[in-house]
Amino acid sequence: MIPLAAVVAVRPRRSSSNFRLWVPVPLVLVWLLALPFLVLALPIFFIASLASGVNPFRALWIFWQLLCALSTTRVSVESRATSILVHIF
Amino acid sequence: MSDNRKQVLDMLAAGQITVEEADRLIAAIDDGPTPAAATGLAERPATAPRYLRVIVNAVDDDEGPIKVNVRAPLQLLRAGVRLASLIPPQAQDEVNTALRQHGVGFDLSQIKPENLDELIDHLGDLTVDVDGERNNMKVRVFCE
Repeated sequence: MIPLAAVVAVRPRRSSSNFRLWVPVPLVLVWLLALPFLVLALPIFFIASLASGVNPFRALWIFWQLLCALSTTRVSVESRATSILVHIF
Repeated sequence: MSDNRKQVLDMLAAGQITVEEADRLIAAIDDGPTPAAATGLAERPATAPRYLRVIVNAVDDDEGPIKVNVRAPLQLLRAGVRLASLIPPQAQDEVNTALRQHGVGFDLSQIKPENLDELIDHLGDLTVDVDGERNNMKVRVFCE
């Protein structure tokens, strides 16, 4: 299953206010928006793959697996000033 | 007498090893792993690792203490290695040459899907700790 949502959380640590930025990213909408462009790019991808000697179907399958494997990835960076968290569901 | 001990004594009798070497080998046999540990059953966790964790702690002059915590699913690593198999052979040669020039004797063509599961299974036993003097950087890489 491809990731359907992600969360980006930014929290300034130096600021005295309780400002916190918590952005849920509906990746499902991103995929839907990107779909027409991907369909348009598909012939170019096939031609480029065949020209470089790569099986385009295999390449697509691997890219799909890569996309699916992104789920549950979590990256957090904390410094004295800011704390950033990216979590892909 | 165990076969290993007998083999060491045979090597000593044949003059293939010195007395000190035989002593060390016998001591190593005596302190050797138990049969369960030798098969890898003793310390291996019941479940296979699912994530590759990278934790970096550093102290920057301007930013102060910095912590980076990355949790990447091993499935992503698996897919990434498969992605490497898409690299055309001529590009692989160039990458291998560049790696060798930088002192990394690694051949991309040796990564094969059939070896992938074995590689990832063994990553469960991997822990890399790096302590750098610059910025008091500490890097820890492990699987969980």
